[in-house]
Amino acid sequence: MSDDGGRDVEAPPIISVRELTVRARDRVILERVTLDIPDRDVTGIIGPSGCGKTTLIRTMNRMAERSGGLAISGSVRYRGQEIYAPEVNPVLVRQKIGMVFQRPVVFPMSIFDNVAFGPRLNGLDGDELEAIVLRSLERAGLLGEVGSDLDRPALELSGGQQQRLCIARALAVEPRVLLLDEPTASLDPIAAQRVEALLFELRREYAVVLVTHNLQQAARVATRTAFLYQGRLIEYDETKRLFETPREKLTENYVTGRFG
Amino acid sequence: MIRDRGAGPTALAADGAELAAVSPRLRHRLRLDGIVRWALLGAFAAVFFPLFDMIYWVSVRAVPKFTLATFTEYQVGNAGGLAAMIEGTFVLIGLATAFATSIGLIAGIYTAEYAPPAVARIGRLAGNVLAGIPAIVIGYFGYFLFALYTGWGYTTLGGALTLSVLMVPFVYRTADLAFSSVPASQREAALALGARRHQYLRRLAWPIALPTVLTGVFLAMAIGLGETAPLVYTAGWSNTPWTGLFSPTSFLTGAIWLFYEQPPTLGALLTLAFQAAFLLIVIVVALNLGLQWLADRYRRRLRGLGA
Ligand SMILES: Nc1ncnc2c1ncn2[C@@H]1O[C@H](COP(=O)(O)OP(=O)(O)OP(=O)(O)O)[C@@H](O)[C@H]1O
Ligand SMILES: [Mg+2]
Repeated sequence: MSDDGGRDVEAPPIISVRELTVRARDRVILERVTLDIPDRDVTGIIGPSGCGKTTLIRTMNRMAERSGGLAISGSVRYRGQEIYAPEVNPVLVRQKIGMVFQRPVVFPMSIFDNVAFGPRLNGLDGDELEAIVLRSLERAGLLGEVGSDLDRPALELSGGQQQRLCIARALAVEPRVLLLDEPTASLDPIAAQRVEALLFELRREYAVVLVTHNLQQAARVATRTAFLYQGRLIEYDETKRLFETPREKLTENYVTGRFG
Repeated sequence: MIRDRGAGPTALAADGAELAAVSPRLRHRLRLDGIVRWALLGAFAAVFFPLFDMIYWVSVRAVPKFTLATFTEYQVGNAGGLAAMIEGTFVLIGLATAFATSIGLIAGIYTAEYAPPAVARIGRLAGNVLAGIPAIVIGYFGYFLFALYTGWGYTTLGGALTLSVLMVPFVYRTADLAFSSVPASQREAALALGARRHQYLRRLAWPIALPTVLTGVFLAMAIGLGETAPLVYTAGWSNTPWTGLFSPTSFLTGAIWLFYEQPPTLGALLTLAFQAAFLLIVIVVALNLGLQWLADRYRRRLRGLGA
């Protein structure tokens, strides 16, 4: 474990997954996955469809248990604390570890109310709420575009704007970690590029975990990348190394597009 | 940005013959199209002619004889107006809607959000069964429970409670449907922001479900308005001013039922029967227009909400 380019040595990981196994009724979805997510950085997760990427990040903020019939074992620690410990409240886990989905899920309310949704759950209102909404929209690079008209229905925004609104909404809860499940998959290239640039910006303040099917995207924004195959973590390394000199044959086949 | 539309204008130009020449096959298809269109129009007329005919039949007998007294006076013998029945109808429907909405809504939300699947299945089945029970049976049930068992006799409260038994499955079913059909992605997104379930329900699901819930409430009201059987055994009858929850009351459907079959010497009562029918039609139409308006407003707001 000393060959990760020295990055791990600088700071403790914000999330550490150990021996994580997820079973559905008749099959294993994730098998003994172990990896560390560094703070203030972008970590990519790649792998063929159905390999368990979504399931993996959903176990990291306790959303996985919501899709019925999954048995989760092993350990996931957030800043050293076991998030599956019985006394831990999943609601608080999700406030610390935010999530953005593949298709933008906009609430049928105004732009302001969308972003304010999370903070309001915690009783914020008035000037404080407004400040946090504006700050979040700013961080998501949306404030300039939507301008002063925050009372517009959010459903009127374009797909790319909607996805950045979802990121703003997640940021408004002030999480430390942002999990994104193929956030640009439903966007056109220009909108996707903007979201990608935003994620690269966000790594200054957040730990960003990016599931993507787009290998170039992983290469562009992720410092480290994990390759999952059939529920197992095959390789996890500096992105550049993983793509250029993969240690595993499976990884090589996948990153060179020779898969099947 | 200029979009390339592929072929230029020349590709679109057609000479006259290409558009005017009608082959026998096409002519046959056009004729068939005409027949189908007339058949559909006929079916449409068959559905709506009786409705309009009935409204006409009631209106010509009711409308010319409306006076202020129809609304303000109490019926005595062969004279007076519908004041007692109007009061009674509003009190009964108001109370029954309040009961049916509170119970139906809570049960519907429970079924959609909290109940284990087996319980939800039983609840839905029970709702459907209750919706199918004949009104007269519910009337007898109400009579035994709210008139005899409680010892109240004929009361407005008993009538409203019985009527709400009849109305509740319609609110329940639509509330269940409304909350069950909020897209799962919306719930996921709310929970991922750290919402507790009741927060999700109140702040996100409720505004999305509201228009559907309102449809159910309006439907229940329209059904309740048209019922006579559950009330005659429970609310009794009274053509004097309404005095309270524990006294009997009359209602518009009862006026139709009682006054329609009177001897010709009591012609004023026959007119009152038609006027009561006319008022009921007006109220039901108003309810539906109100519902339409609300639904349009909300649909605009929810447009684009993905699955
Ligand atoms: N709740 C569940 N019950 C049973 N099987 C499940 C459940 N959730 C996921 N699976 C299965 O686990 C496997 C991994 O699913 P997952 O969604 O994590 O894959 P993925 O890598 O995100 O795929 P994609 O790239 O297509 O999004 C799939 O075969 C899926 O069918
Ligand atoms: Mg996935």
